[in-house]
Amino acid sequence: MTASDPPRLRLQAVDVGYTYSGPTATQALETISLDVHDSEFLAVLGPVGCGKTTLLRIFAGFLRPTTGSVACDGSVVEGPGRERGYVLQEDAIFPWMTVRENVEFGLLARGAGPAARGAVSRELIRLIGLSRFEEAYPKDLSAGMSKMVEVARVLATDPAILLLDEPFGALDAQTRARMQDELARLWERRRKTVLFVTHDAEEALYLADRIVVLSPRPGRVKADFRVDLPRPRSLEARFSPAFSELRRRIWESLS
Amino acid sequence: MERLKNQRLMLGLASLGAMVLSYTLLSHSHLLRPEIVPPAREIAVAFTELVVGTHPPPPMEGDVHAGHQMHSSDHVGTLLQQGVTLQGSLAITAARVLFGLAAGVPLGILLGLLMGFSRRADDYLHPIYVLLRSVPPLALITYVMLWLGHSEAHRLIPIVYAVAATMVIPAYHGARDVLGTYVLAARSLGARRWLLIRKVLVPAAGPTVLAGLRYAVAIAWMTAVGSEMLMSENGMGNLIVGGGLWASRTQTKADPAVVIVGIVALATAGWAMDALAKAGTARLTRWVR
Amino acid sequence: MLPRNKKNNFFSGPGIRTRTARGLLSLGALAIVYGVAAEIGRGRLPDRIWLGTHYVENVQLLPPYGSLAEEAVFLLQSGILLSSIAVSAGRVLLGFMLGAAFGILLGIATGRATRAEYLADPWVTFFRFTPALALLPLFVLWFGYGEGSKVLLIAASVAVVTLLGAHQGVRSVPRVYLEAASALGASPGLAFRKIVLPAALPHIFASLRIGLGLAWVTIVVAELIDARMPSLGYLLTLAGAYPRVPTMVVGIATIGALVLAFDLLALAVHAQATRWMRRTA
Repeated sequence: MTASDPPRLRLQAVDVGYTYSGPTATQALETISLDVHDSEFLAVLGPVGCGKTTLLRIFAGFLRPTTGSVACDGSVVEGPGRERGYVLQEDAIFPWMTVRENVEFGLLARGAGPAARGAVSRELIRLIGLSRFEEAYPKDLSAGMSKMVEVARVLATDPAILLLDEPFGALDAQTRARMQDELARLWERRRKTVLFVTHDAEEALYLADRIVVLSPRPGRVKADFRVDLPRPRSLEARFSPAFSELRRRIWESLS
Repeated sequence: MERLKNQRLMLGLASLGAMVLSYTLLSHSHLLRPEIVPPAREIAVAFTELVVGTHPPPPMEGDVHAGHQMHSSDHVGTLLQQGVTLQGSLAITAARVLFGLAAGVPLGILLGLLMGFSRRADDYLHPIYVLLRSVPPLALITYVMLWLGHSEAHRLIPIVYAVAATMVIPAYHGARDVLGTYVLAARSLGARRWLLIRKVLVPAAGPTVLAGLRYAVAIAWMTAVGSEMLMSENGMGNLIVGGGLWASRTQTKADPAVVIVGIVALATAGWAMDALAKAGTARLTRWVR
Repeated sequence: MLPRNKKNNFFSGPGIRTRTARGLLSLGALAIVYGVAAEIGRGRLPDRIWLGTHYVENVQLLPPYGSLAEEAVFLLQSGILLSSIAVSAGRVLLGFMLGAAFGILLGIATGRATRAEYLADPWVTFFRFTPALALLPLFVLWFGYGEGSKVLLIAASVAVVTLLGAHQGVRSVPRVYLEAASALGASPGLAFRKIVLPAALPHIFASLRIGLGLAWVTIVVAELIDARMPSLGYLLTLAGAYPRVPTMVVGIATIGALVLAFDLLALAVHAQATRWMRRTA
């Protein structure tokens, strides 16, 4: 593959709009067009309430756009699909299952046998550094650990596309930084297509190849940046001049 | 923490002691007739008689208590004549309770889960459920008797009915309150209907359902005793009311000592079953935060 | 598997009108089924039943709507039904109010002071596990055959439930609220009145509703066991003695309607009193 080959389109939104019906109809999104390319780490950045979660839910197949359409690998999105792994913003780890059972759930759904499931889950749990907690229940885990289990759970089914909705939003600064590192390392090992929603500009810059900035409600695409920082991203990158420059541009586009 | 536990024990015992003390004082004070407030000794005698199943031997000539009211009351006599013992009656009532639970709990849970998970089933079934649970089960007993006669079935039906009606609500709420996030996450991981139900919906609804179980046990005991008081020749309800069938009830004057023995026995059995239920459900809800 | 209706939202479903329509439909279907069954039964069902000691003729096991209507009119016009309702409902209300007042006050007391809770514990546990009906013969002995024993019986069972509810309610107030209140300088009394009590209301109302249902169950059985006129239980017993099935069915239906009415009322009061609570999404 040469540098001039256009990367394959994995996800595509064309003129997507969404309005929540109800006593006070709110338009969450207004004609958004977005292309997500293969193996791209795309961050969607915007203030609270700009419709980022709505957009992600549409990509995941849980909402049907009021206007426009969304396609995955060329075909229109009709509902949730295994090729699009989805990690929600809220706590969705299953509290009645151990860490291992949680991670194995997607494989169980696919009909894999216990041996196969065990092999995959063990490896992933080791990857996120929670081998000690393999048989623990979520109630014994911290919020950050729970979230990483959810990410591992989604990775177990090996989806080509990952949809992550502010997964580290509820964590404190240090834990969040650590989790960002973990995610970056994971991604660098298994280059999936990632659509990552966040309201934190630094987080977006640290993780992504490309950042799309949304305007406040109703959400529209305001800006689209390439992030050309070298990989693997490290702590030093956060303090490099290139980083600061990009951050300035983003702040400008957000205001 | 230790001090708190000791306090709990001591205050509890003190309260219990005060109850016993005031009762003894009351029964010995001659303020109220001994037929109404039997002294502890009579209660103990009634207890032994009912457990052993026979009258005690008559007192000896020189016995100080010979003049005291002998405990061959109508009530105990009638019961003993029928071969009723305390433990026997308790066993029979407990058996009815267990049957009622075994049949009623799954029924109620199924209905509740169905209505909780399916909006459509809820719309159609909820009004019928509300109507049915508004009729106290024991009110139906007279009607059911016309159909089934004086059989065991007609005594058990109200118990099953009451238990089922009680279990519907916790199952319903448990199902409805399952967080949509769990369903979303499971479906995006590829879970389809059966797996979703088995591994996500049921465990998520579990704790609420199990909490309702303890309440259903209490209701089962109450309905069983009521059913027996109305329409049975055996069991604890029957023991308390005086043995014999409906018609002869009014002729046998209830002996308060027997009633008290019966009540204490029921309370103990109920407490034991509840403790079992609590222990059983604790294991299943280990994971709850 | 997205819904194929106009709504695009995964979570929405049919509107309130469809849902009420469905409910009415199923109730209507039930009414029709009964009517049909009664008609079929007219010819088929046995009309001679064994009552343990003798046979009785001319019994309609499933009375058709005609006989039920006749019977209802008769009972109403003769005043039997209304006086029975008045007596039974009166007992329920009186017992309920007595029991609830006692139970709530005591429940609040044990909720606030752990020592009070420890003191009350043996009593509460005892009454909790004693089926209220078992106390009936005792109460009758102690308080006579009149109203007192029945009302007190209801009060006892209601008190246990409301005590537990109030206790739970007071105990489950989130500590953060209390901490915020004391940080703002509120005295314990003020905090109790303005924070603990309102926060405990939902639990209390829930237990009141349960208690009301329990009160009805208790009174019906108490009246069946110790039947004397006029009361709904007596009506049923009398009907069972002949037996006059239409009377029985009307009686049972009346009791059901009363229980339902009281329950709906309790629900409405609950909703109104807790309308400040945000519904969790």
